[in-house]
Amino acid sequence: MLTLRYVRRRVLYLVLTLFVAISINFFLPRLIPGNPAITVLLTRYGNHITPQELRLVESQLNLSGTLWQQYVGYMVALFHGNLGVSFYFYPASVSSIIAGALPWTLFLLGSATVISVILGVSIASFIGWRLGGKTDSMVSTISISLQSLPVFWLGLILQIVFGLMVVINGVGLFPVAHAFSTNVTVGPNLAFIASVLYHSAIPILTLVLISFPGFALLMRNTISTIINEDYVMMARAKGLKTWRLKKMYINKNARLPVATSVALAFGNIVGGAFLIEEVFSYKGIGWYLYTAVTTSDFPLIDGIFLVITITVVIANFIVDLLYSFLDPRVMLE
Amino acid sequence: MMPNGQFPSGQGISASSLKRRSAVLEFLGNVWSNRKGKAGALIFIAMILIAVLGRIFSPYSPYDTSFGIYLPPSAAHLLGTNYVGEDVMSEFLYGTGVSLMVGFIVAIAAMAIGTLVGITAGYMGSVTDDVLMRLVDILLVIPGFPLLVILSAYLPPTIWSTILILSVLSWPFNSRIIRSQTLSLKRRSFVLASRLSGLSSFRIIIRDLIPNVLPIIFINSIFIVVGAIVAQAGLAFFGLGNINSINWGTMLYWFETEDAIIFKAWWWLLPPGFGIMALGIGANLLSNAVSETSSRIRRY
Repeated sequence: MLTLRYVRRRVLYLVLTLFVAISINFFLPRLIPGNPAITVLLTRYGNHITPQELRLVESQLNLSGTLWQQYVGYMVALFHGNLGVSFYFYPASVSSIIAGALPWTLFLLGSATVISVILGVSIASFIGWRLGGKTDSMVSTISISLQSLPVFWLGLILQIVFGLMVVINGVGLFPVAHAFSTNVTVGPNLAFIASVLYHSAIPILTLVLISFPGFALLMRNTISTIINEDYVMMARAKGLKTWRLKKMYINKNARLPVATSVALAFGNIVGGAFLIEEVFSYKGIGWYLYTAVTTSDFPLIDGIFLVITITVVIANFIVDLLYSFLDPRVMLE
Repeated sequence: MMPNGQFPSGQGISASSLKRRSAVLEFLGNVWSNRKGKAGALIFIAMILIAVLGRIFSPYSPYDTSFGIYLPPSAAHLLGTNYVGEDVMSEFLYGTGVSLMVGFIVAIAAMAIGTLVGITAGYMGSVTDDVLMRLVDILLVIPGFPLLVILSAYLPPTIWSTILILSVLSWPFNSRIIRSQTLSLKRRSFVLASRLSGLSSFRIIIRDLIPNVLPIIFINSIFIVVGAIVAQAGLAFFGLGNINSINWGTMLYWFETEDAIIFKAWWWLLPPGFGIMALGIGANLLSNAVSETSSRIRRY
C-alpha cells in the first residue's frame, strides 16, 4: 500500500530533521562566547592543565581548526558513534553511558505509552457513546484535571502516598527510588525481572495518569464529530445493529487521530519520563541528563540530546509509515 | 444569509478600525456569557490578582528565615514553613507573580511570532509556505523538553533566558493553525472584495484575517500560558534557569533537592501544583466556552 513517492517524502523529511538536530548540537556550543565546556574544565582544573592537555581536549571536542574542519571532524566522530568523554563520569565515554541508560528510559516510555493509548481508547469508546451524560462530564473533568498537572509534582505526591504513607511492616507499599533493588543479580532471572517491574510500577503509573487523558479526550471529541456524519446516519437508517455501528463505523474511524497523535505525544512523554527519572532516581538517560546539567557535563548533555532526538524522530518516521497502512488516505495528500 | 453579515470589517474601509475593536469585544462578551467561560475567566482573574497583589498582602518577606524549619500549617503560617524556615504562604504569593509573568510573556511572544509566520505562510503560499511549514514540522517533531534543556544549559541561568527559550519554541503549533485558517479564509468573498477594492496585502491581513482567527489565537495563547508555566517549572525542577528566583518551579526544585519528602512537608509541595492545576482547568473551561460560542462568531 505504500507508494514510493510517499516513502521518499518521509525519508527526505527524516534526513532533514536529523540534520537540524545535529546542527543544533554542533553550533550551539560554538555560538556561545567562550565555549562553556572549556570554561568548565579551566575553572575546575585550570591550575593542573598543561597547554598540551588543553589542546588534546579541544581536538577531542572538535574545537580546533576552521569551522569547516571542526564540522567534518564532528561528523566523522558521530558516524563512528563517538560522542566524546563525560566530564563527570570520567573516563566513561558518553556513548557507553547512554547505551547503558537508554534501555531503562525506553522501557518506561514504551510501557507508559502503550498503557496510556489502550486506557485512553477504552475510556473514550465507553464515554463516546454517552456524550453529554453524567459519566461523560465526570470522566472529562477528571481527565482534564490530570492532564493539567506537572508530571514531576504528581510523581512526588505518589511517592509520598505509596512509599511513605501506605506502610506495611515498616516498609512502603512500593519502592520509591532506583530501577531495581541491590540484592538481585542483574540478568535474565525471575527475581531481577520481578524487582524491575516492582520498581517501575509507580513511575509508569505517574506517566500513564498524565498521558492517557490526552488520548481519551482526543478520541472522545472525534467520536462526537463522527456521530453526526452522513454515513453514520445512513448506517443507522438502514437498521444496522448498534454494536456493529459502534465497532465498525465509529470506533474504527475515531482511532485514526489517536494513531497520528501517538507520535507527537511520544515526544512529550519523553519530557515526562526525564522528570520522573529524576524524582525516582531511576537511572535512565533522564537521570543522567539531570546529573549532567547539575555538574555542567556538556559532552554528556549534547550526547543525550542527540540520541533522544534521533530516537524520537525515527519513532515518528516508523509511526508515519505504519499509519499509511491504517489510513491510506494520507498518501493522497 | 449575507456572507459578511457577521463581519463588518469586510464591508468598508473607513469604519473598519472601530468595528474591529467591536469584534474583539463581541468575542469576549460571548465567552463571558457562557457558564464555563465565566468560570474559566474567573480562575484566571483570581490568579492574576494573586500575582499582582500577592506581594502586598504576603504576611512575611519570602526571604525571612527567622522561623522554625518545616513548621506545619498554623495560624501564624497558613501554609507552614520550608527547609530554611521561610513562610510558604509568602513564597507562594511571590512565586505566583513570577510564574504568571513567564506564562504571559511567552504567550504574547508566541502569539506574535506564530501569527506572523502562519499568516505569511498561508497568505504568500508557494515557496515561502513550504519553507516555513517544513521548519514548523521539524520544530514540532524534535522532543520539546530535551531541546529546552540543552538550550537552557548553554544560556546564562536567568529567568529571562528561560522566557526567551520558551518564546522561541512555543510558536510552531500556533502558526500551523493560523496558516490553515488563513488558507481557508483567503478564498472567501469578503477577502476577495477587499483585494479587488485595491487594499494592500498587509492591510487585508490586519483588517480581514486577524479578527477572524481571533478565537483560535485566544485559545492557543491561553494554553501556551499554562504550558509555559509548566515547562518553566520542569526546567527549574531540573536545576535550570535561575533556581534562586522564587516561583512555582523553584519551590518544587528545592522541595526535591532538600529531600523535604522525608519530612512529608505536603504544605510546601501542594500549593504550586494546585496553582498549575487551577490554571489548567481554567484554560480548558475557556477553550470549551470558545468552541461552544464561536459558531456564533465564525458564521461567515
